[in-house]
Amino acid sequence: MADTGDDRDVELGSLSAIFPEIQHPHPDDPYTILLDLPVTPSQAVTVFFPGPVDSAPPQGNDGPPAAGPGQRAAVDSHQLAHLPPLRLEIAFGSKYPAEQPPKASVSTSPPWLPAATIKQLEDDAARLWEDMGRDMVGFAYIDHVQQAAERVFDLVDVNGSLEVDPSYKIAILDYDIQARKAAFDKETYECGVCLEPKKGSACHKMLDCGHVFCVACLQDFYEAAIKEGNVAAVRCPAPSCAREREKAAGSSGKKRKKPRTYINPSELLQIPIDPETVKRYVDIKYKLELEADKNTIYCPRSWCGGAARSKKRKKPEGLELAEVEEESGSEDDDIDDGDQAEAEGKSKPYKAPDSLLAICEDCDFAFCSRCRQSWHGEYVLCAPPAEKGQPSAEENATLEYLRYYTTPCPTCSVPAQKTMGCNHMICARCQTHFCYLCAAWLSEDNPYSHFNEDSKGNKTSCYGRLWELELGDGDDVGHNFAGGPVHAPHPAPAPAPAPAPVPAQRVIPEIEEPDDDDDDNEDHNRNGRGRDNHGARDVRAAAGPALEAHADGGQVGIAREGPLVLRIAANRPAAPARGGAARRGGGRGAAAAVGAQQQQGRNQRGGAARGAAAQRGWRGRGANNNNNNNNNNPAGRGPRRREVPDVGGDFVLAPADQEWVRQFVQLALNDQEDILLMMEDDEGADI
Amino acid sequence: MTSNKRITKELAECTTHPPVGITVTLPNDSDLHTWHVILDGPEDSVYAGGKFGLVVKLPTEYPFKAPTITFSTRIYHPNVTNDSPGNICLGLLKSDKWKPSTRLASVLESVRALLEEPQPEDPLEARIADEYRTDRKEFEKNARAYVQRYAKGPVKFDASSAGPADGNASQPGAATATATATGSGGSRT
Repeated sequence: MADTGDDRDVELGSLSAIFPEIQHPHPDDPYTILLDLPVTPSQAVTVFFPGPVDSAPPQGNDGPPAAGPGQRAAVDSHQLAHLPPLRLEIAFGSKYPAEQPPKASVSTSPPWLPAATIKQLEDDAARLWEDMGRDMVGFAYIDHVQQAAERVFDLVDVNGSLEVDPSYKIAILDYDIQARKAAFDKETYECGVCLEPKKGSACHKMLDCGHVFCVACLQDFYEAAIKEGNVAAVRCPAPSCAREREKAAGSSGKKRKKPRTYINPSELLQIPIDPETVKRYVDIKYKLELEADKNTIYCPRSWCGGAARSKKRKKPEGLELAEVEEESGSEDDDIDDGDQAEAEGKSKPYKAPDSLLAICEDCDFAFCSRCRQSWHGEYVLCAPPAEKGQPSAEENATLEYLRYYTTPCPTCSVPAQKTMGCNHMICARCQTHFCYLCAAWLSEDNPYSHFNEDSKGNKTSCYGRLWELELGDGDDVGHNFAGGPVHAPHPAPAPAPAPAPVPAQRVIPEIEEPDDDDDDNEDHNRNGRGRDNHGARDVRAAAGPALEAHADGGQVGIAREGPLVLRIAANRPAAPARGGAARRGGGRGAAAAVGAQQQQGRNQRGGAARGAAAQRGWRGRGANNNNNNNNNNPAGRGPRRREVPDVGGDFVLAPADQEWVRQFVQLALNDQEDILLMMEDDEGADI
Repeated sequence: MTSNKRITKELAECTTHPPVGITVTLPNDSDLHTWHVILDGPEDSVYAGGKFGLVVKLPTEYPFKAPTITFSTRIYHPNVTNDSPGNICLGLLKSDKWKPSTRLASVLESVRALLEEPQPEDPLEARIADEYRTDRKEFEKNARAYVQRYAKGPVKFDASSAGPADGNASQPGAATATATATGSGGSRT
């Protein structure tokens, strides 16, 4: 190859010496060279990208793309110091230099350079060759292109701006950033903290103010400051940096009152500062922001203490790196709001929020911002703060509900609420079999004997009551329970129409029904009559003893039902007619009297019956207890059943006295007499 | 480490190219963190002719933490406590204002500027500040008297030898002084 007579070898040799970065794109052709020429204008160029990105595909790039809507062009402009380099490929043919000009081809990536400019540059090779008298033109041509590049090929208009197709925007901006970075890395700076000269690659240029410090010093400084919690120190370490920028901003006539002095988490990560430390920085900054805001509402949960959500600020999310970046992206927009909010906060020490509803941003607890109790709606007056140690009205209501509509498992005491089905329950927690009515243990082998006569003819208080409360116990349970039998196999003797069912709600879904439905049904049928008779009178009859034998063969018997509880069967509880109960029921329960009838059809105990039952309250329950007193019956569990208002009931005491005694006894049995004091106030209104 | 290197540099800078009216010495060669500075009272101020001793203490975290500077020579000035050590109220030395790339030379120049132009709206000695604002003549007389009394002899850096308490100078400032300085300015001389 090395033909000593070939001028091209001489020329390429010197070119390679001048431009050591010359490449040979074709390994088999040593006479084609490739050179990347940087396009670094002597003065920074304002590059603007007219029109929307989707407007004009790169066509000539000569004129401004016509599709650009109006004058929005100049808006999107950037000061660039570096443009993507020019790739110059020169082929020196075999007849070069004597007879053939070098063949040049010019390109850029992305092709931001207009085609006409490229054509002209390429043609310049032949023109120069001619001018040189058809001689070796390689260096002269490269130098010519370099000079043209410095002038940005005369594409810059008088205002120093250059128009480029917007589809290349990202690539061009990226290139500028990279080129600036490369240039920065090569420079040397004196770090103002350690006062040492450092290479740019070991330095960080503050994004806001442009001061340069070495990474090691910034790390030491910021990490120490954040560790101490002194986040105010996390700012540019240059003296009076903020003041200078304030002045600069003021002189440039900008509206912004105060330039930001703190440093974005994303910049800290760039320095780089350890993400854990940055997280701490963000957390502390946010905490300070909360503390500075007099309108901050804190979560009343003692274990939480978070702040209520606010439109003014955004809780920093976990601080994954990506999220930090995102946060910093929106930072600029947020700042004005922040300043505004700050100014507001200063001028108005406290401003009542538009809504009392506050939601903790940490635990999502919804509470009233005035009374700090759980949210009670806009139109409910705030309750007085609960005294320490005293259960709140709400908690009492919960306890009351649990007492009325659940049966504790006799083994593990978990409150169980039946949503539908028979009264043979299996505890979901401990698998104990028990009776839902009286909470007695039931034998796993033959749980239903509890609801039948035993071999000696004894009957428990739950005799024939396997299917009581089949639709579930409590408010709003049972009706829509998927898959459960919801209508009665028996014709209902009392055709009173049941109110529309309310949606099922399982308050304590702890109980599963036994699977053996067949057995249940057998029992059910066998005991049908007795049960119906009972049901007519005491669907919710408690284990209270009846002092008189019931006409229905409700013979008084004693049966052991479980290890601890001695039951005295009572078929006929003395339930007083309770107008008060009906009143308490409000709208839901229709009328207690209707309810009584409906009870006759066990399975028709719909809303009305349940409504009535819901009204039973302390009175109904107490009625039994009142009787129980005489028998020392430990009926603590039993008498929680519902009671049907029974017009034929016996009255022993004046209703008011009964009431009190019932309550007291009932509570005493549960060791809850203290609640009576609280309850008395509520009940008093009803009686 | 960074700290010592930087202090060495700054010391070299301050001794080879000292700012006007400022002389820096190192009382103990093995301790870079205590500097003794002699401040010449600025010519066009009431403190002209006086030589004031300053004790500069550089914390181990320097430059991340601000140095503390105290007057070991008593001075009658609204922004310097009228006791020993004389604490200085200087904005850029406050911990929340300190910037790590602030150099000691410029700090010392600020101290000297404070002598030229007291800042009575941010005083450590409220009484002197009041006097400065309302009765400039009396202030200047008192300040000159202090210079004559304390700032004429050889400069002492041991705060305890700053001279006897002056009967003239009532010291309400002792109560208002925030006493941010550590130590008494060092006993090495």
